[in-house]
Amino acid sequence: MLLLLCLGNIGNSVAHLSSSSESTLHTNNWAVLVCTSRFWFNYRHMANTLSLYRTVKRLGIPDERIILMLADDMACNARNKYPAQVFNNENHKLNLYGDNVEVDYRGYEVTVENFLRVLTGRHEAAVPRSKRLLSDEGSHILLYMTGHGGDEFLKFQDSEELQSHDLADAVKQMKEKRRFKELLIMVDTCQASTLFSQLHSPGVLAIGSSMKGENSYSHHLDPDVGVSVVDRFTYYTLAFFEKLNMYDNASLSSFFNSFNPNLLMSTAYYRMDLYQRRLEEVPVTNFFGSVMETLHTDSAYKSHRSIDIGEAKIKKRTDQSISGSDRRILRNMNNKDQVSNLSTEENSQDSFGQLWNSVLSKVTTTENVDEFVCHGLLLMLSLLVASTWLSH
Amino acid sequence: MAEIAEPKLKQRPIVRLGIFLISHSLFVSIVCFTAGVLALLLLPVLAKNTYISENALMPGSANNMLSSHDTSVANKLVKDLTDLKLRSRGSEFDSQKLIAQYMFDLGAEVTHHKFYPQSNQFHPLHFFTSPDSGNIGKNISCSSLGINTVGIIRAPRGDGKEAIVLVTPYNSMKVGVEEAFSLGIAYSVFSLLTRATWLAKDIIWLVADSQYGEYSAVAAWLTEYQAPTFSRAHIVNSETCRESNIVYKHGQKPNAEEKLYDGFRRAGTMAAALVIKVAKQSDYFEDTVNIYAEASNGQMPNLDLINIVNYLAVHKQGLQIKVSKMWSLLNYRWLYTLGVVFESLGQIARSLNPQWKFGIPATEYVEGTATLASSLYYQGLGVPTGPHGAFRDYQVDAITLEISSKVPLTKMARRNEFLIRGGKLIEGVVRSVNNLLEKFHQSFFLYLLTSPSKFVSVGVYMISFALLVAPLPIVAAYLHVEASDFGSIQPKEKSASQASSASKMNVNFDSWKWLKSARKVFAFHLWGGVVSVLPYFISQMPNLTAKTSFIVWILLSVFSLLVSYMISGPSFSEAAASQSQKKEWASLKSVTISAAFIGLSLTSVINFATAEIGALLIVPICLMARPLKLDIKASNLISLMRITSNLVLGFIGFPPATYFLLKGVFEGYSGINVGDFWEWLESLWAWNSATYLYIGLVHLPCWALCIHILFHHC
Repeated sequence: MLLLLCLGNIGNSVAHLSSSSESTLHTNNWAVLVCTSRFWFNYRHMANTLSLYRTVKRLGIPDERIILMLADDMACNARNKYPAQVFNNENHKLNLYGDNVEVDYRGYEVTVENFLRVLTGRHEAAVPRSKRLLSDEGSHILLYMTGHGGDEFLKFQDSEELQSHDLADAVKQMKEKRRFKELLIMVDTCQASTLFSQLHSPGVLAIGSSMKGENSYSHHLDPDVGVSVVDRFTYYTLAFFEKLNMYDNASLSSFFNSFNPNLLMSTAYYRMDLYQRRLEEVPVTNFFGSVMETLHTDSAYKSHRSIDIGEAKIKKRTDQSISGSDRRILRNMNNKDQVSNLSTEENSQDSFGQLWNSVLSKVTTTENVDEFVCHGLLLMLSLLVASTWLSH
Repeated sequence: MAEIAEPKLKQRPIVRLGIFLISHSLFVSIVCFTAGVLALLLLPVLAKNTYISENALMPGSANNMLSSHDTSVANKLVKDLTDLKLRSRGSEFDSQKLIAQYMFDLGAEVTHHKFYPQSNQFHPLHFFTSPDSGNIGKNISCSSLGINTVGIIRAPRGDGKEAIVLVTPYNSMKVGVEEAFSLGIAYSVFSLLTRATWLAKDIIWLVADSQYGEYSAVAAWLTEYQAPTFSRAHIVNSETCRESNIVYKHGQKPNAEEKLYDGFRRAGTMAAALVIKVAKQSDYFEDTVNIYAEASNGQMPNLDLINIVNYLAVHKQGLQIKVSKMWSLLNYRWLYTLGVVFESLGQIARSLNPQWKFGIPATEYVEGTATLASSLYYQGLGVPTGPHGAFRDYQVDAITLEISSKVPLTKMARRNEFLIRGGKLIEGVVRSVNNLLEKFHQSFFLYLLTSPSKFVSVGVYMISFALLVAPLPIVAAYLHVEASDFGSIQPKEKSASQASSASKMNVNFDSWKWLKSARKVFAFHLWGGVVSVLPYFISQMPNLTAKTSFIVWILLSVFSLLVSYMISGPSFSEAAASQSQKKEWASLKSVTISAAFIGLSLTSVINFATAEIGALLIVPICLMARPLKLDIKASNLISLMRITSNLVLGFIGFPPATYFLLKGVFEGYSGINVGDFWEWLESLWAWNSATYLYIGLVHLPCWALCIHILFHHC
């Protein structure tokens, strides 16, 4: 009883700590990748988007969490010398249009309306789940757009345009609907920075390839295919990411600083005033990959609940965790991977093995010495009690 | 003027401006006309550099793929064709068979298209109509059958809705080295394109049988392609022409014989057409490409097509590009001096403000003027400058490329290099057009070239024409007011309040007096129509030389003029009688000028260059015309000058005189023949040129009316 009480107290205190720092935890990653222009001579925009698609997939965002919108099909264009292949480099080493490309919106489906529907989640009933952005308040979303733009607009197809206030509206709606925790908007068009001018929602980070009045240029021409195959901004973005893998800790600021205006022939623009965290502390994989601070919970069931219920439920959950006896049944499944560093709420362990495991995990996480000492004392106390009882 | 200005309520500014202009019509017309001529001379300075306007074209972005393999097979074709000529024992269709076999071996779809050459027969009702509606079936013998050979490559992954056409005119009767080489260039490209995986448009290679003219062969094929007439195909394939049908005897080419489809094959709508010719050795020290672009009635292909050819030839293949020039203009001192003046003006402007980019070197100015003059002339003529003109009738952008080598083509070593250069140029253009998503529409259709890479767009060259014709309505209005005033001179002297109702009646009557003049002007224009129809009847008469036809035509014209004088005779005598109608000539001139203005404006819509040249010739005489009698009476210096200038302008304005004068100036007076004008006009109506209509219906009547005014008895 005493043991339970003690552990319960600790659990409570930890829960307090986490809820006060940030209301929600980063739970998943989504990416919306949009190529907005059609026609053969805009080959590079499709190649840009597909390159980024490949990168975020490689860094761990699964296909079902990537919405890929391609306004035209260059791979099957009759002018393509390499049928069903798309390259982003003249060396043709990497076919971006391999077997595992899932295009969610293609051709004339890529419209401003559909784009806004994807962002805001206001779909018609018939739209399948695979075409929806099913993010939640713990999601980090990467929104990448490329095409032809101008002062406060981005051209879609050849007929319509997305204006900066449309985008800001959609983001605001997303925020209201708690569809994201953090959003990184990355735009590679001419005068890309103007597209961000209307954004007001907190948690939004934006980076554009060029300032107002500047053009974004293509990187190089593939004389074999006969078109430019990649834009400069995207090319150097990819150059940055090619060096990384899923476990790298490169920060967003190092990414942002990697752009050289001379190579870009334009000035990359960041808008950070809406973003709370320090860029030096945010790994790029927070957006481009699917690496997040994992919250180790004892029970899968519980953690599912936490996702579903949402905000400010952590305290309540920990309370339940003490009293609830049903969840102990599932307990055994969860005690294998204890990599997390925040998981101090392994409480109410009554079997010795469980306890030992939790102690081990605490030994590995040496950041909280007080807790460690506390646990050690508790352990010794229990040993003492047991030994005295046995010696009786 | 008093009557107009008098009404109590204040007139609107635009009305007052109009009145101001009309009352100062002499000054305005001098200023406008001089400004118009000056603007025309300034055009070479105002020319802009061409640029590729359509993003989709991307010329030169892809590497050339034409290999030595392609040229070696092409070389073999050239050799076979020239050998065929040397042997000359085969039938006349041997070369067609040979070309078809070569095409077939590449895997293309091959057909022969048989046609009867269309003689360009003038028919007054056939202006602006399809040339095909003429008489077919008359006087057609099997011997006059032309055979086009057509090869089609289908784009492997294309939708088959669009096509690019390559045309090589080719006379099977006498194959020159040049023609064989043009086939060689086209063949090397064709050979490459059969292997290309990037084709989005089908490729049609038309070997046009040019023994009855390059144009008619291409036109016949195009007519069949775009507007097939089913009865005609039947005639061609009938038994009567058996001997001229291509029969592959003895099973010598079993493949071709079996697979050759004898119907007409089509691909999609044509995106562009290139006519490839090889000219004799060039006068320059480089391989050159001559571009011919003018189609009928001054229509031009989209400027982008010329731009891509120019870009690829200059920047990729190192060929020199030429467009036609008026060579004789290059030697004019005054033009050079003008160039120097413009150059120094430009320098002054630049010293005042470095931002002002104005002025070009004098030599460049002279070159630009020579090119501009030629551009204006060929557009104004309204006769296509090559087989590409046939495509324009179906709204297909087409140009003729005439490639010439710097060394004789008989030299073996140069052959391959020449073929590869020409082939790469064509390949580049085809690949660029292949990238096109829609019709050419981005760049200009209305332009004048001042060099292969400089152009004057419609917005700029319109100004000079507008300035030239602007005085016409103003002077017409001025003369009309003056003519009306004359009758009401009495009321003018009285004060306005005293103007009686009788004089008002008089004014009302006078204001309708112009109708009489209008009747006369109308009669003259009717006569112009008769004169322009006369050649049709003259040409029906057998055994007439150009000279006699011309003279007959002039005689008939004068006769018809006299007849029309007779018919409208009473009005002339009446005119002389009344004192109040002494200024009848003013009213007549007013209506004449209005008619000239309307005629020129309408012509400018159909063919701008014609209107521009016509305005230069007819506007001065229209403005200056004044009865000689009046000037003789006055007999001071000004009137003397006016008499001489009127006579000179009157002489220049007469179409045959203009023609012979210009011909003399540009080509020298030595070789002038009276029949030349007839032949020139004949070519105009044979090509359905609107210039012919302009001369007959606008220029000639206006000129005759001006002469009538000059010799007016007042």
